[in-house]
Amino acid sequence: MKKTIHIMLISLSIIALSISFVNAQDTYRIGAAFALSGSIAVYGEGFKKAVDLAVEEINAAGGIKGKKIEIVYEDNKSTPKDCVTAVRKLITVDKVPVIFGPAASSNFMAAAPVAQESKVVMISAEGAAPALTQAGEYIFRVFPSDVLQGKGVSDLCISLGYKEVPVMYVNNDWGLGLKNVLVENFKKAGGKITDEIPYDEKKTDYRTELIRATKGNPKAVVNLTYLNEGAVMFKQSYEMGIKTQWIAGSAAKGPKLIELAGKAVEGIIGTYPVVSQETKEYKAFKAAWKKKYGEDKIPIFGEYNYDMVYITAKAIEKGGYTSDGIRKSLFEVAKGYRGVTGDKTFDQDRGVGAEYGVWTIKDGQIVDYKK
Amino acid sequence: MEYLLQSILNGILAGCIYALFAMGLTLIYGVLNFVNFAHGELIMWGAYFLYLLMEKPIGLPLFLAFIPALLFTTILGLGTDHFIFRPLRQANRLTLLIASLGLSFLLRNGAQFFWGAEIRTYGFEIRRGMRFWGVSITSNQVAIIIVSVVCVALLYLLFYKSRLGKSMRAVSDSLELSRVVGINSKKTIRFTWVIASILAGLGGILLALDTNLQPGMGLINLVKAFAATLLGGVGNLWGALLGGMVIGLVENLGVLVISPGYKDAIAFGIMILMLLLRPMVLLGSKE
Repeated sequence: MKKTIHIMLISLSIIALSISFVNAQDTYRIGAAFALSGSIAVYGEGFKKAVDLAVEEINAAGGIKGKKIEIVYEDNKSTPKDCVTAVRKLITVDKVPVIFGPAASSNFMAAAPVAQESKVVMISAEGAAPALTQAGEYIFRVFPSDVLQGKGVSDLCISLGYKEVPVMYVNNDWGLGLKNVLVENFKKAGGKITDEIPYDEKKTDYRTELIRATKGNPKAVVNLTYLNEGAVMFKQSYEMGIKTQWIAGSAAKGPKLIELAGKAVEGIIGTYPVVSQETKEYKAFKAAWKKKYGEDKIPIFGEYNYDMVYITAKAIEKGGYTSDGIRKSLFEVAKGYRGVTGDKTFDQDRGVGAEYGVWTIKDGQIVDYKK
Repeated sequence: MEYLLQSILNGILAGCIYALFAMGLTLIYGVLNFVNFAHGELIMWGAYFLYLLMEKPIGLPLFLAFIPALLFTTILGLGTDHFIFRPLRQANRLTLLIASLGLSFLLRNGAQFFWGAEIRTYGFEIRRGMRFWGVSITSNQVAIIIVSVVCVALLYLLFYKSRLGKSMRAVSDSLELSRVVGINSKKTIRFTWVIASILAGLGGILLALDTNLQPGMGLINLVKAFAATLLGGVGNLWGALLGGMVIGLVENLGVLVISPGYKDAIAFGIMILMLLLRPMVLLGSKE
């Protein structure tokens, strides 16, 4: 019995393989190592739906130079180990030149070296870890890195007219990474960082750090802080009568800040990453989603997966159906490309920028900042 | 200049808090001869007891909730002695040290269990501080300074001018000998815990009034208090005050010159130096 099943399975896979070889003649196949089972399968389902929608649209519009796209899904079981297996299978068995990588930065980064070694392009639509694309030149992301917030804060300072600011930051990987990006961008934009004040987490007393930061009465002070530390600091600065414009990132944006520090946080301005839902691209995407799936709710990061398919299709069209062709043309086709999630131009680290909204606190409420 | 004055005031404030904590530490050490690492949690629980009494459903005003909160802290302090340290009275120092470390974890996680790890406040409206010569100080901060100085003075009188203080010092010298001469050592030790607990509760409440409540609030300041104790001479009350002040001032003034990222390093640098130099530099002690 067991033997018969084995034989059946083997013959089935041979048939499946030969069919796919036949198919390979008239479709462009793209690998997708998605989480279809395991701990993050709830997300994987949404990503798959978004990818399917984009593929359907592209194929309906005539595909790529007349050829249709076909996605080869491979379950990565939500673990780093199975991500590696899935990616390896897509490369060696399905021989795809480009793969949509696993979600979760740690899962993606486990599989990235496999793609890099085999010189196969792999793209992430969900990873936020700064080092995500470090494995090499074949690894791309269409999702902004965490540290890009630093640029958002820098742009905000410049747009508000603050050219000389001291910067305070939480003394850990996150704070330091953010601060470095901020300083680099701020200097490039012609600004001057007057002082850098790192501080430890979870302290009760930040008075002296605050005094040092506001030495010389700067008009604005950047504080890359979390909710708790921010609440303590803004409260103490208010008590000491410090009058300056506080600029923060998105980590300090939360009702808890107001609950803890009350009127001391009134008027703080900060940035947070946004995908504008007002663009025509977003509206079209939303309408298409509703038409296909009959629901209004877009799953998390669905927009990024959708954009990823379009950029990849454009890259195949431009550079040909080879991994090197796709890798090279990805830069060109994405340059200035406005997708559902905004500008998708790749930087030198094969990542994308992000767009930022500005928040402030007015009458004890977090609201969008308007000049 | 204002900048410098404000930093000095901040240093004094931090110093007062360290000193309040250090006095409790030094008292327990002086009488029972071990470092009570759970003292920081006694501090934290003091602050949380007040929070419990002031929040719904009890909702007492501060001046009514204050005394019961100290009472609860005292009961907790006596409880830890009764259930943990008393059975270990004859054990060696290492056992006591480990027991107090374990207790510290237990009490901290206990608070986290009831109130969660997030920061809380008593919910008073935030006010701008009063300003003198360009230096700002809030009424809470004035209270911190006054309470610390009063506590040291009262403790001094108690320790050196009262019968009870005398018996505390006797028990500190030798538990056995004090028993032989007829001192009720049990009562004396219990009294020591009462005072240490009240000091902890006061310190915790003042700190929380000035800043916030969080389960780790005792621990982070206790290490500094520990440095202050060493600096001032273990078992020496005035030394605890002086040690606290020195550490508070040095770390707050140091930040003006070097990066604040190294703020803690200053305090711990002093502590290590003291441990190396050992002979109680500032005031000297019997040891």
